[in-house]
Parts: sequence; C-alpha cells; structure tokens
Amino acid sequence: MVWDNLALALAEIATLETLLFMIIGTSAGLLAGSIPGFTIAMAVVLTLPFTFAMPPAQGLATMISVLVGGLSGGLMAGILTGIPGTPSSVATTFDGFPLARKGEPGFALGLGVWSSFCGGMISAVLLVLFAPQLAQIGLEFQPWDFFMLVIFALTVTASLAGENLVKGLIAGAIGLLARTVGEDDAVGVGRFDFGSDYLLSGFDFIAVLIGLFAFSQLLSDVRDPVKARQSLSHQGDVRIRIEHGRAIKELLKRWVVVIRSALIGMFTGILPGAGGSIANILAYDQAKKASKEPDTFGTGNPEGIIAPETSNNAVEGGSLTPLMALGIPGDVTAAVLLGALLIHDIVPGPTFIAEQPVLAYSIFVAFFAANFIMLGLQSGMLRIFVLVTRIRMYMLAAVILAFATIGVFSLNNSTDDLWTLFWFGLLGFFMRQLGFPLAPMILGVVLGNVAELNLSRALAIDTDITLFVTRPWAMFFFIIAVFSAAFPYFQAQREKGVAWTRFYAPAMLASIALPLVLMGGSVRPVLAGLALLTAGWLTWRALSARPA
Amino acid sequence: MTLNRDAWVAIALVLIAGGLMVASFDIREPDYGQLSPAAWPRVILGAVLLLGAIYLVQSLREGPRAAAQAAPEGLMAFISHWRNVLWVFALFLIYLLALPFVGMLIGAMVFVFLLLTVLGGIGRTPIHLAIALVSVGGMWALFTYGLGVLLPSGSLTGI
Repeated sequence: MVWDNLALALAEIATLETLLFMIIGTSAGLLAGSIPGFTIAMAVVLTLPFTFAMPPAQGLATMISVLVGGLSGGLMAGILTGIPGTPSSVATTFDGFPLARKGEPGFALGLGVWSSFCGGMISAVLLVLFAPQLAQIGLEFQPWDFFMLVIFALTVTASLAGENLVKGLIAGAIGLLARTVGEDDAVGVGRFDFGSDYLLSGFDFIAVLIGLFAFSQLLSDVRDPVKARQSLSHQGDVRIRIEHGRAIKELLKRWVVVIRSALIGMFTGILPGAGGSIANILAYDQAKKASKEPDTFGTGNPEGIIAPETSNNAVEGGSLTPLMALGIPGDVTAAVLLGALLIHDIVPGPTFIAEQPVLAYSIFVAFFAANFIMLGLQSGMLRIFVLVTRIRMYMLAAVILAFATIGVFSLNNSTDDLWTLFWFGLLGFFMRQLGFPLAPMILGVVLGNVAELNLSRALAIDTDITLFVTRPWAMFFFIIAVFSAAFPYFQAQREKGVAWTRFYAPAMLASIALPLVLMGGSVRPVLAGLALLTAGWLTWRALSARPA
Repeated sequence: MTLNRDAWVAIALVLIAGGLMVASFDIREPDYGQLSPAAWPRVILGAVLLLGAIYLVQSLREGPRAAAQAAPEGLMAFISHWRNVLWVFALFLIYLLALPFVGMLIGAMVFVFLLLTVLGGIGRTPIHLAIALVSVGGMWALFTYGLGVLLPSGSLTGI
C-alpha cells in the first residue's frame, strides 16, 4: 500500500513540468533566502498565486521547493557577506564568515550546503515515519481536543514569538477576530459587516497573509531612506569553487553533530511557532557546549556551520509533521502551505494521509526531491546571488509590491482583495513597529475557522463546557498551554535565580501524567509513570541543590 | 500624567474591542444552530479586553520611560522619519483608487515608476522607467497569457 502510494506520488512529481517548476521554485527560494530583509515566508506566500492554476501536487511541490531553497539560501549571504539572509541562518555567520575570511569560502559553503542537505533529508525521513503515526493518534481527537489544540498552538506561538507574552496573545486574538468578519461559516449570518458588502464577504485569508507578511515587511525594509538606496551587498565577482568532497568528509567525521542538530531542528519545527530562527541558535549552542574546543567557536569552527545549517533545514520536516497529521501548521510557512491546500478544497487533518494518500506522499516525495535540486543548484546560484545582492532594496520593494497586487487580484478576480492587502499591510506594519509579533496573528487567521468549527461541534454534541478541560487530550493540551504561557515568566525568573523555577519542569511533567493515565491503553500509563518518576527525580535534585 | 506609547495603544485596543463587543449585539441570532454566530467573536473580544487591560496595567507600571523610543519630535521630523513609508501608503492608495479607471497594466506601471522615483531619486529615471515597464509588463503577460487570469482593465484606457 505504501509502495503503491509512493509510486503514484512519484508519477505525480516526476513529470518534466513539475520538475521544471521545482527547479524554478528552488532557485527563487535560494535567491529570496539570500537577500537580507526578504523572508522565506514572504517568498512562499508570494509563490502562492502562481500555483492556483496548477494541480494540487504540482502547486505544493513548487511551494515546497521555494521553502527548501529559502532555508538553504540564507547560508550564502551569511558566509560570504557576514549578513544572514534569513533569521534562520544567523548562527551560520558566527563561524561561516570567519572561515570564509580565513581564505576558505569554498569549504565553508560546502559545509553549509551539505549540512543543509543532510538536515533536510533526515527530517524528510522522520516526516515520512512520524506523520502517519501522529495522524493515527490524531484520529482519537474529538472537537474539544481540536479546539484546545488550537488554543495550545496559539499560546505557545505567542510565548515563543516575542519578548512580551501579552502582546503575542493579543496578536493571536486579533488574528482570530479578523477571521470572524463576514458571513459565519455555520449558519451564514453576517458579522461585523456594518452594512458593507466588502466586509460581509469577509477577508480572503491569503490576501491577509500577503498583506501582513509581504507588504508590511517591505514597508519596514524601505523605511530608512539611506538603507533603501543601498545595494544589499558590495560583494565583487565571486569565483569560488564549493569544496564538496572535503565538506562531505568533514560531515562524516562529525556525524554526531549532524544527527543531534537535525533532531533539534525537527523537534523545534514540530513545536508551533518555534521555527528555524530558534533552531539554528539552539543547535549552535548545543554544538558549542558539547565540543572539546568550545573556544574555537566564532573563529571558523566547522561545527559552527554544520550545526545551524543542519538544524534550520530540519525544521521544515518538523513543521510539516503536525500540518499533515493534524492540520495544525508548525510555523508560518507551513500555515501558507495549509492555505494552498485549502485553495484546492483539501482540508488537512488526521484523515488527510489516509484519504488523500497520493497527495500526502507527493508532499513527501517533493520534500526529498527539493533537497536534491537545492544541492545541485547551490553552486550555480552563487554568481546570480552576487548579482541579486547588487540590486537596491527600494527597487525590489517596488517591483514586489506590484507583483503582490497582481497575485492577490488573481486569488478571486476581485479588487476587494487588494484593499484587504492594503489594510492588513498597514496593520502588520504598525504591529511590527509597536512590537507585536506577527506569527501568532498569522496562526490566528489560519486557525480561526478551525477553532470556531470545533467549538460549535463540541457544543452541539454536549453543552458541558468542562469537557474542554476534563477530556484527556483536551486536558493534556490545556496543561501544556498553561505551562507554555508561563514559560516567558519562568525564563525571566530563572535568570534572577528565583527558587520556584527549579520546580517548573517537574510540575509540568507531573501534571501531564494525569491526562496520560486517563487516556488508557498500555503505553500511555507507562509514559505517565516515567513522567512522574522524572518529575520526582528532578524535584529531589532541586531540593538537594537548595541552599541550607 | 504622561502616558507612554504602549499605554495609548492599550487604551485604543480596549476601546476598539469594547466597540466591537457592543456591535456584536447587532449580529442576528437565528433560531437554528447550537452556537450563536455572536458567541465566538464575543469570546475573542472578551479575551482581547482582558489582555488589553493587562497590557495597559503593564504599560502604566513601566512609566513614561523613553516612551517615544527615539521617535521624532514635531510634525516635520515625523514626516521626515516616515517619509518613505508615507510615500508607499499614499501611492498605493492612489493606485487602488485609480485602478478602475486606468486598469492594472498601466496603473501598476505608473505605481512602480513613481514609487521608484520617490524612493530612489529622480537621477535614475531611465532605469526606473525600464524596471517599471519590463517588470510589470512581464508579470501582466505571465498572468494574462500564461495563467489565464483576466486582470482588470480601466474604463478610461480599455486595457
């Protein structure tokens, strides 16, 4: 069955047309990722209008290739110019740029390229293995559980996305609220339309995403008149040969770093809201801590390139896992992919892989293929990268804005969507300026309908609202939502050395043991026991470490 | 008492959420369906009001501090600081308003050209003109002929 689906998916992806779109997509992603100020999410969201006319598998394969290219593109800018192309390659510059300045840019790029490839491939394998398993678990979810899962996703995104949890939660709530404008999905009653036909038809959420991300980002990029007129880089002509053989040998020698960083990336990707920007720093930090020569980090240590580049490419396999298994995107780019699926009337959820196996496996195959294409294109894109970085930001911004209007119009052939782009561009810009993170808002916009639909279904089955916190899975999500909401406060207090923070982890483990026991079966009570034992051990350690 | 920027934002947020909460009582209540169409928006607005109040308290506790965070003082300084952003807003707004009359092809070309000129200076006019013509023309052709999208034509220009 798996092989049949795989064969059918291969037939979908391995067409000349699809592969051509994937090559174009990966090239575009590599360039977009290498331009500071041009985020991967922006590249993926701007690709969306091109994919409307394509079959779903082809459209998704194109978008995935932009995504994979974007994740790898940041390393070129980071290593050659010292300016990270994307936030997910910040840590790459710590050792990549010094190594390049030592006269080994080919080796540094080779390490980056092959680490990206390994990270992508490892996470692709884990995605194929875990997504169907997670979907099996997802089949147990009832509307109460899905509702709490959305609340958990929003809470954890808010707690990780910015410095201020309250601002993050407000952003998430504004996203949810934006989705309520217009006709209610269940009964078709107008909400907050104030007599306007434009408001009654609601906001197209792709136009909202492009406004929030692309428009507001471009406004921020051109805000400073001096920077807007500068070239992105003054890099001269580049004649670098990427040292593939030497890089592969180095990676094989340091395989532990590769595996560890890939797992960090995968786990960070699964967590809603925590993307490559967190994963690359985490992996770098772990590599430094585990290294026998931590002092050499920052001076061109190969592990300082391997760790962040492996982890940031592994993130996407992680963020696609909850999207494909549960219909909950792990990050903003996965949210855009969810939008692409919804455009084709495909609603991802626990039954997605079972009901749409060819499409699901096409995503897996495209993810693998995009990594190979990225590997092949990386060397060739170096010279184009240099040309692109000579373009001035204001030129890119003006052209992209015009492109965004054409793309957004093509969503529904409606000029109303252009106004949505404008208003949400304004809103996004002001929110950025006022320090509100946009990731929770994006998730709120994407998941608003899922939350309301499941709330409605839950109350139609039973009006008892205590079920939202007493059903095992709902309770599980509620508990981790509460702990994730408390996380920023915990971090701040821990830095001050406050005693109670030692009991944060044991308390969380002990709390999740209860829903695990209530879930029944044979494995989960054992997991609950392990959680309790670990909580006990951590408590004992915390108590014994307390000053007398 | 001097309020910092966050406090003003929090007050605006609470007022808007309050206004929308009042507006939610105008949402029609049908006789069918388990969940009232107004229920979910009210839940969200309740959360926004609560979070807005917490945000306000947080902001007030921080005091006036460098509230404006190096924000420019005076109208001219403000305009100078946000010059490019204001240009983008204004030109985009004019582009949208003119769209039904001039169409997307000409409207987008003019928009890109004017935006390039105000952001990049008039010294590069030929380059800006070439970028506007080639980029918008190319995208227009791709969407019209490649993807079969009928982009809006103008009532005055016919294209």
